[in-house]
Amino acid sequence: MDLLLAWRNIWRNRKRTLITVTLVTLSVTVAVFMRSLQEGSYARMIENAVGSFTGYVQVHQKDYWDDKTLDNGMTENDTLMEKILSADGVKGVNLRLESFSLASHGNSTKGALIMGIIPEKDTLMDIQSRIKGGSYITEEDSSVILGSKLASFLNVSPGDTIVLLGQGHYGQSAVGAFPVKGIAKIPAPDLDRQIVIMPLKLAQNYFSFPNGLTSIVVLFDDPQRTQVITDKLNATLDTTSYKALSWQKMSPEMVDMINSDRAGGIMMIAILYMIIAFGVFGTVLMMTEERKKEFAVMVAIGMQKTKLATISFLETILMNSIGVIAGIAITIPIILYFMYNPLMMTGKEAESFEKLGIEPIMPTIMSFKIFFHQILVILSISLVAFMYSLISIMRLKIIKAIRR
Amino acid sequence: MKKETKASSPLRGDKRGAPVIIEVRGLHKTYTETEVEVKAINGIDLSFEEGEFTAIVGPSGCGKTTFLNMIGGLDVPTSGKVFINGTDISTFSSSKMIDFRLNNIGFVFQAYNLIPVLTAKENAEFIMQLQGRPKAERDKRIAELFEAIGIAGKENIKPSRLSGGQQQRVAVARALASKPKFILADEPTANLDSKATAELLDIMHELNRQEKVTFIFSTHDKRVIERAERIITLEDGKVVSDIIVNI
Repeated sequence: MDLLLAWRNIWRNRKRTLITVTLVTLSVTVAVFMRSLQEGSYARMIENAVGSFTGYVQVHQKDYWDDKTLDNGMTENDTLMEKILSADGVKGVNLRLESFSLASHGNSTKGALIMGIIPEKDTLMDIQSRIKGGSYITEEDSSVILGSKLASFLNVSPGDTIVLLGQGHYGQSAVGAFPVKGIAKIPAPDLDRQIVIMPLKLAQNYFSFPNGLTSIVVLFDDPQRTQVITDKLNATLDTTSYKALSWQKMSPEMVDMINSDRAGGIMMIAILYMIIAFGVFGTVLMMTEERKKEFAVMVAIGMQKTKLATISFLETILMNSIGVIAGIAITIPIILYFMYNPLMMTGKEAESFEKLGIEPIMPTIMSFKIFFHQILVILSISLVAFMYSLISIMRLKIIKAIRR
Repeated sequence: MKKETKASSPLRGDKRGAPVIIEVRGLHKTYTETEVEVKAINGIDLSFEEGEFTAIVGPSGCGKTTFLNMIGGLDVPTSGKVFINGTDISTFSSSKMIDFRLNNIGFVFQAYNLIPVLTAKENAEFIMQLQGRPKAERDKRIAELFEAIGIAGKENIKPSRLSGGQQQRVAVARALASKPKFILADEPTANLDSKATAELLDIMHELNRQEKVTFIFSTHDKRVIERAERIITLEDGKVVSDIIVNI
């Protein structure tokens, strides 16, 4: 009976209920889409910079991350590898040797990130699939792959030779001329502007660092387990020599940027919800005030105030639930569309994104969390609005209300 | 032909020697909400027996409605006591009083006060539903009542599509459905035309006889007063006459 009464009560004034439901629907649609777009962009940013480059967890020599020089590198070590690979959830590793050098071709010179990898095994970066010109390198090659923007800056094509000049292990100079075998389009614009990829052995020779490594990228399936894996590794490894770091520790600026951008977005949605809250409250207020006499009659003939309050609560929840369900139903196809057809920034907007090191693509993401948060917000608004109704019912003076 | 007789005590009905179901002692109600103190009830001692058909009459502001509110547990006296079946209801908590009203008292209001979103049948069975009576019992009782009060066939119609007389019949059915100990009707015919009033009074009188339900009306309406078997007149919050009428 409670539910039936509540359902019929919300449709007493169809126009008012429809306006309220529409407000809630629109707010949920806008909020879910905005949050989905934001979180989708962050996920892509993290995937480009972390999931496809640094990895979610890396192991370094303990001082390396604070002072990224080759002198703080480490050498390949079977015991260390065994410990990392035996940690629960770890599926493999990618070995890397990274440092900076000057890359030169013709009259152009630019600072470059030299990265030595095992080409056949570095599944994380998946450079092979990103080759836009030339071909991929093998472990035995003495040639390199360039990021497309760096290649463009140096005016290099596959088959050309670049000169690298830098500092090797323990202050030795590192110099070499390397044929360019391929050009790769790296999704993270910052990297694309500066990366030179070469086989690990070649990099160890170039930097005069035999068996040298700067990072061991730890591979595992679920990025949500980043902190768990990091903690497990730090518990297993000899922390006087090695340290496992999560991507959040390695890229705090990205975490800060995402957090501040997320806060801005949430603030916008909060303002939207405040406006909606007034609308919902107004409806509940009117629904309560115009029925006080009826409430009084119901209590007079034997309905407990708590039961009356339950019906009023169901009315508020039902009305807002219709809005939430409609909002979610509208948003799901929109999110799915933009998930597979992301918004592509063009012109100056794209440039400004790239200046920030962000790929100018904004995909959406389908996340239960986003929907759940909107449901929670609307539920909270409903509860606050219901408080007015609850207080009115509990303070109801039967005689006074019946005389209205 | 009507024959009027005074009760043995001017303040006490003694019509049939039936059990007393309502007893009021030293009842006072003073309103102090305005600057002027209003003594709405100023010392009433009365009792009502099972099966009475009583009209409480008097000029506007004499305290009729306030008196009904007191014996219906809708308002609390400033002093004095109200006993229903020997229980002092003025000691009840608000929640207990609601339950007491649910199971013992039926109300018929001047403005019908049906729930607009419920059909006639749903309105009539509303109290039985609150009492948790099974559907089969509710259906049987409502069918009987609707037949008795002449609105069979109107079960699925919402109040807004019923005439005033029909709405008040549904209100009577609602009050009677749970077989309360007594029914309090506050100006039940005030919004009805002569025909509807006569029909409604016939119905209530018949139900009073058949089901032995006590009816207590507050009214100005001569048509109701003419049908009453006991007439209590109030003035300035006091009982000035209490007459048993033998029809």
